[in-house]
Amino acid sequence: MSERMYPGMSPDERTTFAPYSAFDIPADLRQLHGRYDVASVAKRVRNFRYAEEWMMMIMGGWVATVPEVPVKTGIGKVIWEGAQAADEFGKRLPELRCGRKAVEASEASNDGFASFVQAVAEPETPDLTIEKLVGIFDVLKPHMVEIYETTMRETDQISDAPTIEILETVVRKTRRHIAWGQEVLDRLCDTEALRERRRARADELSERLAASGGVTGTLASDRGQLN
Amino acid sequence: MKRFIEPNELARDSRFIRQDNAMATVLASMPDDVDAIVAAFEQFSPMIEESVRGTAAEELFEAYGPAFTLVVLNEPLDPDSAAATMRLILRMHGIFVGELQALEGAARSLWDFPDAPWEFKMNMARQCWDEGRHVQIFEKLLEHLGGHVGMFPESTFLFEAACSDDPAMRVAGVNRGLEGLACDVFRDMIRYAEKTGDEVMQQAVDYVLADEITHVRFGSEWVKEFTKGDPEHLKKTQDFRREVDKQFSFGGSRSDREDAAIPIAWEDRKEAGFSEEELKDLAAVSAEGPSKETLTQAAQILRDRFHAKRSGEGAPS
Ligand SMILES: [Fe+2]
Ligand SMILES: [Fe+2]
Repeated sequence: MSERMYPGMSPDERTTFAPYSAFDIPADLRQLHGRYDVASVAKRVRNFRYAEEWMMMIMGGWVATVPEVPVKTGIGKVIWEGAQAADEFGKRLPELRCGRKAVEASEASNDGFASFVQAVAEPETPDLTIEKLVGIFDVLKPHMVEIYETTMRETDQISDAPTIEILETVVRKTRRHIAWGQEVLDRLCDTEALRERRRARADELSERLAASGGVTGTLASDRGQLN
Repeated sequence: MKRFIEPNELARDSRFIRQDNAMATVLASMPDDVDAIVAAFEQFSPMIEESVRGTAAEELFEAYGPAFTLVVLNEPLDPDSAAATMRLILRMHGIFVGELQALEGAARSLWDFPDAPWEFKMNMARQCWDEGRHVQIFEKLLEHLGGHVGMFPESTFLFEAACSDDPAMRVAGVNRGLEGLACDVFRDMIRYAEKTGDEVMQQAVDYVLADEITHVRFGSEWVKEFTKGDPEHLKKTQDFRREVDKQFSFGGSRSDREDAAIPIAWEDRKEAGFSEEELKDLAAVSAEGPSKETLTQAAQILRDRFHAKRSGEGAPS
């Protein structure tokens, strides 16, 4: 046994194992430095939590006032997964130097977004299932996925990996919510007049959402970054 | 969207038929007196007839008259008894709409109490998913037994009785009153399924019962939390739950009495956070209704009068 298993005290007593850098297996192509510092990720997370918490509460209000049974039961699951998302965001906040009490901190990016959320919540009577679902599944959730993915891409891949991990799960589930909600809407909107109602509601809300700058209030610069 | 809705605002598709809650309320508070019960049912007879028209309950109405619910509610479900399947389906349908209302109650708690603690919202959100699954489970079980949604009328009595505007009372009413009743009913259904060897029903309801115990536990914990340091609020909340429990005992049908159709699920309730003292109290409150003998006599009189009237109508003048 001439091969050394353990280094000795002098330079010529090295082990015989081949040298690797810490990032060689597998190759780590991530680079340090993201677009957001700790404080701005914390703000984003508070904004995300605000949107998820409100979506869950709004759908909670609607369960009783939508007549379609599969919509009631389907929304029940979306509510729970939204609550879990808000909960995960909340738990991330103390890790981002927001204080231990921050787990319940939600914050709208600006008044425009807060009033957009209230506009989503507005439809009330049983004849407005289309208007209700469009706000969440055609407008707000797709917007959330867009911003979540931007955040995942632009934040520091190593330093802010815990946020990325949370977002990965939330995005996967949100995509499933969107697929479900849009399938329901496709079924409900089975005439040209109803499809027009869906489009009109989506256009109106999308406009308000864009004007507010979206969930983080930074929609214009987020989109600019992509181009 | 406003906070707090009325029970008549619960949205339903065209399969559902709504029943007036007045009848369930009267039934829940009847005295142990044959004449009073007969008078109450005769007063409601046209309303009952109207609500069953075109539903599967019409058959039961024609057989037993306006008091058919007495027969359905007060006889223990036994696979060998007459019309056992129809009565089982009627109960299953009642559970199905009960689950719908439990889903709606839990979901409304998210919207009606926006400033509640986050943990409370998490519990209610979880309950939304669970109750949504229960609706799906009981729709499937209904079909499994040969029934379908909308075959019987739905009263929104459960939602009306349990959904208070005060958060402590809401959880006391929904999570302890309504969900506690669910524990009793489901334990009874599991027994029934074991008797008939229906493994599909046995296993599904067993899972549902596990969920319900969790929901009662939410209620037990949040009543404590919402009334912490306020003994008067706690007392009011307990009084409210007692009132709900009395209504949900349907005149002793759900009770600890020997003749009860639905016995109190003592062990399940203990696991869910009911104290021995509360359970004794529930046993006392639920036993207050008319005796089985009174109800049987009343049902007999009502059936005889109903058939006499029917044959009188049919006779040439
Ligand atoms: Fe349930
Ligand atoms: Fe439940």
